[in-house]
Amino acid sequence: MTTTIPSPTETPTPPPTLRERMGGRGWIKWLVLGAVVAVCVGYLIVSATGSSAEYYQTIPEMRSHPSSGNVRVLGTVQDDVARSDGGLHVRFTAAEGGQSMPVDYRGTVPDIFKPGIQVVVDGRMGSDGVFHARTLEAKCPSRFSSAQSQGSPTG
Amino acid sequence: MVLAELGSAFLLASLVLVVLSAGAGVVAGRQGDGPLASVARRAFYAAAVGLVGASAVLLVALLSRDFSLAYVFEHSDRSLSLPLTAAAFYGGQEGSLLYWALLLALMGSASIAASAAASIRLTAYANAVLAGIVAFFLVVMVFVASPFSLLPAAPTDGLGLTPLLRDGGMLIHPPFLLAGYSAFAVPFAFAIAALLAGRDDAAWVAHTRRYALVAWGLQSVGLVLGMWWAYHVLGWGGYWGWDPVENAALMPWLATTAYIHSAQVQERRGTLRAWNFGLVIAAFLLSALGTFLVRSGILPSVHSFAVSPLGPWFFGFLSVSIVVSGAALAWRSDRLRSPLAVEPGASREGAFLLQNVLLVALTAAVLWGTVLPLVSGMTGRELVVGAPYYERTATPFLVAVLAVLAVGPLLPWRRVRGGWLRLLRWPLAAAALTLAALVIGGVRQPGALLALPLVAAGLATCVAEYGRGAAFAARLAGPWPLTAVRVAARNRRRYGAYLAHIGMLAVAAGLVGSHAWQQTRQVTLQPGQSVTVGSHTLTYEGIGTRSETDHTALIARVRMGDETLEPGRLTYPSLGGQAVTTAAIRSTPLDDVYVVLAGADGAGAAFTVYVNPLVTWIWVGGALLVAGVLLGNLVRPQPQEERAPAGLGATVAAR
Repeated sequence: MTTTIPSPTETPTPPPTLRERMGGRGWIKWLVLGAVVAVCVGYLIVSATGSSAEYYQTIPEMRSHPSSGNVRVLGTVQDDVARSDGGLHVRFTAAEGGQSMPVDYRGTVPDIFKPGIQVVVDGRMGSDGVFHARTLEAKCPSRFSSAQSQGSPTG
Repeated sequence: MVLAELGSAFLLASLVLVVLSAGAGVVAGRQGDGPLASVARRAFYAAAVGLVGASAVLLVALLSRDFSLAYVFEHSDRSLSLPLTAAAFYGGQEGSLLYWALLLALMGSASIAASAAASIRLTAYANAVLAGIVAFFLVVMVFVASPFSLLPAAPTDGLGLTPLLRDGGMLIHPPFLLAGYSAFAVPFAFAIAALLAGRDDAAWVAHTRRYALVAWGLQSVGLVLGMWWAYHVLGWGGYWGWDPVENAALMPWLATTAYIHSAQVQERRGTLRAWNFGLVIAAFLLSALGTFLVRSGILPSVHSFAVSPLGPWFFGFLSVSIVVSGAALAWRSDRLRSPLAVEPGASREGAFLLQNVLLVALTAAVLWGTVLPLVSGMTGRELVVGAPYYERTATPFLVAVLAVLAVGPLLPWRRVRGGWLRLLRWPLAAAALTLAALVIGGVRQPGALLALPLVAAGLATCVAEYGRGAAFAARLAGPWPLTAVRVAARNRRRYGAYLAHIGMLAVAAGLVGSHAWQQTRQVTLQPGQSVTVGSHTLTYEGIGTRSETDHTALIARVRMGDETLEPGRLTYPSLGGQAVTTAAIRSTPLDDVYVVLAGADGAGAAFTVYVNPLVTWIWVGGALLVAGVLLGNLVRPQPQEERAPAGLGATVAAR
C-alpha cells in the first residue's frame, strides 16, 4: 500500500569500503578505548567502595572488632524503648548474641519498630558508650514473607 | 482438602508434560523433525493449561477462605478484602513460584506459537529451554515448597496480610515485576536455541528483540510502580533505596536496555553478534541471580523474606544456567565473529556501542555493590555499601548516557560527513540556553548544572527529529495531517523510540531534581505553630482520631496555603498494635510537599516534612517510556516494513 513512502532521514547504507573488507584496523582503537573505559570504571568502583563501604556486624562482632568509622549493626530491640520529641527521638537497648548496647537515634522511626523486632542501625559508637545511629531500619517479621519496610533512606 | 489434592495433581501433571516437552524439543531441534517439534509444543501448551488449573485452584482456595491450606492460612484472613485476598496468590513464597511458572508457561506458549512457523529447529530448541525452566519451578513446587500443603487441622481464621501490603499498589506492582522477571526467560531461550541451532542471523534478532521488548516493558512498569509504591506507601520521603532487592530488579533491566539498542546495530550492520547473545543471556542470568539473592535471604536487606529451604535450589538453577549458557557460547564462538567491524568514531553504531558500554559498566557497578557483602564475607568481615556508593558510581554513567542520548539519534550510520556544528545545532542551543537559565536562576549544584542541560539537549534532539518528520510529510502528496500520520505509522519504531527517550529524559530530570534540591525538616509542633521548608510554610492545626473496622487512625491537620494536608498513623489492634504511617503528599509538576506524622505526645506532634522537587516527572516519564515502546512495537511489522526504505538520498549532514 504505502511502500513507496520513503523514510525522512535514514541514509542509505553504503557498500563496505576496501578497508572494511580487508578486516579493518579499527580493533586496535577499540581495544585502547575499551581498556581506558575499563580502567575508569574500575577506578570509580574501587574508590567509591573504599570511601563508602561499612562493616556489617552483630553486636558481639562489633565489641570484638571496635572500629572508629561508621558501621552497620544488627540487633534486637529490648523492652526499654524511650521515645521523646513526639516520637522523633528514641533511645533503646539493642541485644544480639548475649551482648547488648544502648542506641540513640533521632529521626523518623519505622512503623513496625517496637520491642522484639530486629533492627539494623547505621552509625558509630560514641565515647559515652552509646551507639549514635544515623539511620534505623527495621527488618520485617518473617511471618509476612514478602513484606518490606524502610525506616529512612539508606545513607 | 479436595482443592489441595486437585492442585497438587495439576502440578504433577504439568511437571510430567514439561519434562516430555523438553525431551521432545531437544530431539526435534537436533533432527529438524517437524512432527516431533509439534509434539513438544503441544506438551508445553498442555502444561500451561495444567498451571492455569493449579492457579485457579489456589485462587478458589483463597477466595473461599479454605484455611486448611497452609498457604491460605499464612497469607490471608477473613478481614481481608476480596481483591487483596486474590493478591495473596503471589504475596508469599510458594504462591509467587506458582505465579511465576504460570506466566512463564503462558508467555512461553505464546512465543513458541508465534515463532513455530518461522523455524522448526530454532523454536524446538527454545521450546526445550523454556520447558526446562518451567520444570525447575514445578520440581520445587512439587517436592519442596508446595502451595497446596495441608495443615493438620483447619483453623477458623488466617494470619492475615501485613498492613503495609494492604494497599492498591500491592495489586499491580508485584505482578508486573514478577512478570518482567519471568519474561526474561523467553529471549534467553531463543538465544540459547539460536546458538544450539547455529542460527545467528536476522531471524533470530527479529524474534528475540520482540520478546526482549516485552520483558523490558513489563520490568519497566514493575520498577516504576515499585518506586511509586515505596514513595506513596512506605513514608520515608524517597523512592529508591538501593536495596539488594531493588538492584536485583534493576540489573536485568539495564542489560536489556543495552540489548534493545545494540540489536539495531546487528539489524543494520550485521555486527555485534556475540555481544548481543551475551547481553540477552546476561539479562536472564542477572534475573536468576536476583531471584536467588532475594529468595535465599543471604544478603542483608530490609526486604526480609521468609528463611526458606529454597536457597540451594535457586543456587543450583543459577549454576546450571551459567554452565549451559557458557558452554553454548563457547561452542559457537567461531561462528559469532562479526563479518564487519564497527569503525571507531562518530557514527550511529558508535553511539549505540558507547551507550552499551556505559550501561554494562553501570550494571557491573550495581552488581559489585550488591554482592559485596557476599564476597567480603567469604574472605573476612562483611562489608556493605549504601546509597552513597551507588550515587557516586552511577552518576557519571548516567550523565554520559544522557549525552549519548542527546547526540546519538542525530548521527548517521557509518560516519559523519562534514558539519558537526550544523548536525548538533539544536541540542547544543538547548543545552546552552538551559545552562544559562540555571546559572542566572542561582543554581550552583554541579550535578544539576551538568545533567539538566543534557536533558534539554536530548529533548531538543527528539523534538527536532519529530519536526523533520513533520516537514517531510508536508512535502508529500495529500493533506498534511494524513501524510504525517502515514509517515509516523510507517516509521513507528523510530518515533516510538523517541517518545520513550522523552520519557527517559523526564525520569532523569526527576531523579536529578529530587536529588539536588530535596529539603527535609524534622519538627515537633504545638497546634498553631508553623514550620517553613523551602518556599512552603505549613501550620499545624490539630489532631484527631478516627475508628475504622480493622484499625484506628490518628490524623493530624496541617494547613498549607488554602489546602489542608492530613498525614496519619493507623494502628491495627488485630495485628499486635502494628502502626502504619500514611504520608500526606501534595504534588505539583514543580515539587511535592511530603508530610509524615512521626508521632504525638505531650510535647506536641512530630512531623518530618520533605520537599521533593520534580518527583512527578518520574511517574509521567515512566508512563511515556512504556507508551513509546508500546506504540512503536504493538503491531507486528510486515517483513518489507521491517527496514525503513531510504529513498530520500539526503544525508543528515547535508540537510
